[in-house]
Amino acid sequence: MTHRPDLIDPGRLAAEAPPAHHTFGPDVLAGIRERAELGRYPIRGWGARRAVPDFDDLLLLTASASRYPLEGYRERCDTRTVFGARRAARPVVLDIPITIAGMSFGSLSANAKEALGRAASMVGTSTTTGDGGMTPEERSASRTLVYQCLPSRYGFNPTDLRAADAVEIVLGQGAKPGGGGMLLGQKVGARVAGMRTLPEGVDQRSASRHPDWTGPDDLKIKIEEIREVTDWQIPVYVKVGATRVDHDVRLAVAAGADVVVVDGMQGGTGATQDAFIEHTGIPTLAAVRLAGDALADLGLTTDVGLIVSGGIRTGADVAKALALGADAVSLGVAPLVALGCNAPTYRRRPVPPPDSAPTGASDSAYVEVDVSAEYAALGTAPGHCVHCHTGRCPVGVTTQDDTLAARLDPVLGATRVANYLRALAMETTMLARACGKSDVHRLEPEDLVALTVEAAAMARVPLAGTDWIPGR
Amino acid sequence: MCGIAGLHLKDHTYRERLGAMVAGMLRGVARRGPDSAGVAIHDDVPDVPDVPDVPGVPGVPGVPGVPGQAVPGVPAAPGAGLTVFREVGDPEEFAARIGLAGRAGVRALAHTRMATESAVTAAHCHPFVAGEERLCLVHNGSFANHATIRRRLAGLGIITETDNDSEVAAHWLAARRAAGDDLTTALRRLTTTFDGFFTLAVTTADSFAVVRDPIACKPAIIAETDHWVAVVSEYQALLGLPGLADAVVFEPEPEEVYLWAS
Repeated sequence: MTHRPDLIDPGRLAAEAPPAHHTFGPDVLAGIRERAELGRYPIRGWGARRAVPDFDDLLLLTASASRYPLEGYRERCDTRTVFGARRAARPVVLDIPITIAGMSFGSLSANAKEALGRAASMVGTSTTTGDGGMTPEERSASRTLVYQCLPSRYGFNPTDLRAADAVEIVLGQGAKPGGGGMLLGQKVGARVAGMRTLPEGVDQRSASRHPDWTGPDDLKIKIEEIREVTDWQIPVYVKVGATRVDHDVRLAVAAGADVVVVDGMQGGTGATQDAFIEHTGIPTLAAVRLAGDALADLGLTTDVGLIVSGGIRTGADVAKALALGADAVSLGVAPLVALGCNAPTYRRRPVPPPDSAPTGASDSAYVEVDVSAEYAALGTAPGHCVHCHTGRCPVGVTTQDDTLAARLDPVLGATRVANYLRALAMETTMLARACGKSDVHRLEPEDLVALTVEAAAMARVPLAGTDWIPGR
Repeated sequence: MCGIAGLHLKDHTYRERLGAMVAGMLRGVARRGPDSAGVAIHDDVPDVPDVPDVPGVPGVPGVPGVPGQAVPGVPAAPGAGLTVFREVGDPEEFAARIGLAGRAGVRALAHTRMATESAVTAAHCHPFVAGEERLCLVHNGSFANHATIRRRLAGLGIITETDNDSEVAAHWLAARRAAGDDLTTALRRLTTTFDGFFTLAVTTADSFAVVRDPIACKPAIIAETDHWVAVVSEYQALLGLPGLADAVVFEPEPEEVYLWAS
């Protein structure tokens, strides 16, 4: 064999770092040191960080010669979405199939909740309360407000229930199916504590199951009770964290749900144990197909709504989720990013000079204020922050601190979230039209192929370029 | 994609000439659908005898010796008979083989197919026949949401024979008819239920109907005289019809149901 001195260069080898250990990589080492320091599990915000099969692993088969696309501007593509028409006197009617998920006042600032409500109303969709009750700002800002009924019972009362446009019974959450809510003491200010009838400044851990029911048989009675209280006016949703999706969807329907909400493992949180976030539940991609098929098998595709959530970011995600059987999607993290989460700056309206005449300045005029240093003080940086649990959100989204919360202008924030939701709806209809659909809900699994064997197996669509569906 | 032709006699003295009229119409749309063809003929004489088997097309894979499909008279509608032929191969040769020009009847559909997404076999040929009343349908265009509708039909126990999109429409219409819709209502519903592009011609034991999708870019021409009404994909396919010079000729409007009943 020819001697190749260029391949064996002791000087160069010594200059290169040895490869990182796979089992004990840098993140794992940091995690061990963190646990050794804290003596408890790490807690953080956001959803699963790890790579799991997702909607990016699917592609749409848009029209060409065998089918015809619809024109973007002249030809109709409906996005209207109706929930609960079978039983509720006042069904939920949404202009777009994209909703805002439940996030508590407590986890989010009152300004953030108001901004989400305003944005949802601007685009004709719904927003959802959260584990902590309904704020007046949120109620008045929201055209359609879904009121959550959670195991903690925080802020749950008949008055607010009757003020709601739908009620969502939360059995679980994608970030922590089987676990309860968590709000650390630094975010439990006077107002939050008052709404939850708990002391200020104390860590709050919500129950992981509701005291009023264990199992779907009791849940059926609870749902009847809620229908009585609301005089059969509003739809009842049941939300589950995606684990045993087929069973859970069937049981939610058996208990009387008008809408089943399935939250995949990428679903976000304001504060949850890292081990929960990364190691429980199944990906949204797998969950939506299971849920859609369960409803189809029951023959209830039309009568019972399906909302899926967990890592939805783009109109392409929306289109693919609808194709796999969802009637709508629900977003949590993404609207927070639109509000300014993880941005290096926050936006405030310019302060007019003293004695100046009112200018009627536009709601959209703003100045940017850099807060990178505050991210650094939390030990993070814009683009990497998952520190919602600390309550020190530099852009005022996930905080109860008055100074920080004031950084989020609800009007400016709402404009951005509304723009984002409109863009998603436009992307969804663009893709649906390209598939020849006059309604986004007519997207179907046959419009999809998968890029990977894993995604093909989970979504039960063919691997691209083949007619092979793993397991079929 | 395809060529369609349909003929409905108002004046049954033309009965003996129906086959020759349809043969000319089929020839006029043959180039639009070179891979297979089919014809459905309704007659008002009772008990149409079984049509002798017509040899299949040699050398076409998957279609060994497929005969013309003969459907005897429909007992549910006394006095009505329906005969259907569907074959892979050149439409004009098909017409000659089944002796189309010599066949009598009062109403007929003809189709020439350029397959889009489903296979080229006799079973995939139009006209599709569905339901108790043997509703017949020919389609030019393609549907974009038939997979979902096929699943819904399967949930009702209605199973399609092939993966063809047009077959779904035939069964869906038959299901709506069975649910009590008159043909006009069922066709109106179809225009809001099915996505895609379509000109459809539909016949039953007593009716002849035409409908187009809301955009109506698949061609269609209707000609009507006191004696007959015809629909074709291209005007030239009308040229051999007797009395065409006196016919009212028009393009059917989008989403409008045109229906003639005997």
